[in-house]
Amino acid sequence: MKTIIEAQGLTKVYKGGILAVDHVSFSVFEGEIFGFLGPNGAGKSTTIALLTTLLSPTKGTATINGIDIIKHAYQARLELGFVSQDLAVEDSLTGFDNLRLQAGFYHLSRTEARDRIAEVLKMVDLTARAKDKVETYSGGMRKRLDIACGLIHRPRILFLDEPTLGLDIQTRREIWKYINNLREQIKMTIFLTTHYMDEADSLCDRIAIIDRGIIKTLDTPVALKDAIRHEVENPTLDDVFLHHTGKEMRDDPTSKEQAYKSRMIMRRARG
Amino acid sequence: MNIKLLLSDIYWVFWREIKKFAQQKARLMMVVIQPLIWLVLMGNSMSGLTRNPQAAQMLGTGNYLDFMTPGIMIMTALFGGVFGGVTIVWDRRTGYLNKMLAAPIYRAAIPLGKLLSIGLQTMLQALIIVIISLFLGVHFKTGFPGVIALLFISGMFGVIMGGISLSLSSRIKSMETLMAVSNFLTMPLMFTSNAMFPTNAMPAWLKAIALGNPVSYAVHAMRTISTQGWIWTEFWPALIALTCIMVVIVALAIRLFSRSVN
Repeated sequence: MKTIIEAQGLTKVYKGGILAVDHVSFSVFEGEIFGFLGPNGAGKSTTIALLTTLLSPTKGTATINGIDIIKHAYQARLELGFVSQDLAVEDSLTGFDNLRLQAGFYHLSRTEARDRIAEVLKMVDLTARAKDKVETYSGGMRKRLDIACGLIHRPRILFLDEPTLGLDIQTRREIWKYINNLREQIKMTIFLTTHYMDEADSLCDRIAIIDRGIIKTLDTPVALKDAIRHEVENPTLDDVFLHHTGKEMRDDPTSKEQAYKSRMIMRRARG
Repeated sequence: MNIKLLLSDIYWVFWREIKKFAQQKARLMMVVIQPLIWLVLMGNSMSGLTRNPQAAQMLGTGNYLDFMTPGIMIMTALFGGVFGGVTIVWDRRTGYLNKMLAAPIYRAAIPLGKLLSIGLQTMLQALIIVIISLFLGVHFKTGFPGVIALLFISGMFGVIMGGISLSLSSRIKSMETLMAVSNFLTMPLMFTSNAMFPTNAMPAWLKAIALGNPVSYAVHAMRTISTQGWIWTEFWPALIALTCIMVVIVALAIRLFSRSVN
């Protein structure tokens, strides 16, 4: 299997000395859906920001399709598509214009852009609504448009940061269907974070669980569940998650002010 | 650096801003209504006050509206430009900034594209003010070429204010604070300048401040063209000063923005 992401000792220390990601190393293989799970503040978003070149690592590096994200950030960006959890589409523009804009950011020529827009619209079933303003779209349609934006330049790997955040169960299932189609039809590699264990279980080929900046475990969902079978009867991925990240709610010994401060610093650095 | 790609990136950032601007019907209405209110209400009441020889001498023209029109253009540019940084704060909050940053675009293209769109919007607003003021009987001494120069200077001034606002937004990441700081900046800049009142009518201390205020440079250059004619000795120094300020501010905006996203 070909490795498409290779993280080597990836480390991020924020201003103020907060260690968000601590010497993280892992590989993602071509064509797989790789799940990246962890509690709030575990380092998921920071890791995605590092891999998508939005933040520079304090130490370590990673390669995307063999391209170093520090030395050749520009080329690395061409290999990756990024769909953030923010639903970052322009409400006042049409779906088509959103994609036209995205095609412009990736320097596609006019004819190329037209073909690709038609292609990705079809992929997410939005062709019929392309000329409507996004403000008339439902939540699921917006997310699909956002995913289509991430696909316009035919990236080798798509980063989906909590793609079903805030969507109802029907819409979540619908988004899963599109994610699965991407893998099956165009052999896209997908790096996915989520808080929904059922989602990770049904979609992901392999799952990494990160906590306090350290990868606790990395394996297929089946193997992860098997590994704790001696502790829990018929374990679910929820059990696996709790096993590795602890059952307690987070009550760090640091003061409330300290916790608030570190949260603000991380948020500010991530933008 | 690949100039062609940089220009393409600037174009698409610009395209986004203009496209959004054109979609906002209410904002377009305000662009027309606001200067109309200023000219019709303030302009007309002040005209009554200033219809005497002494005032005419201070204004340098017999008609307060003639005097005031360039001031209104710059004021509109000031209020329009100073909220340029808000779009960055908004983009940061909605996640669109990260979307752009994950794409292979030059970092400098983001502030440059935004400033270009602010410049164009300001010129459009200035054009609307020209049209309204023509209906109100304002006379532009240098005719059509003079009006083009007025639009151009307004655009430059919009870019300067936009640049200040973008620079601030690289540090100030909350919308509320940025709005407050921007508002705090606009009023003193406006009322310590010659935009509304002639410097000759000011007390000495205020006159000294007004002469150093960049708003005054812009208004002075514009007023010279619109009420007196092409007096080059008055026009060029103001234009050169304004150009220098613009270059410095734009460079600062690019630098602070690039640093803030790294």
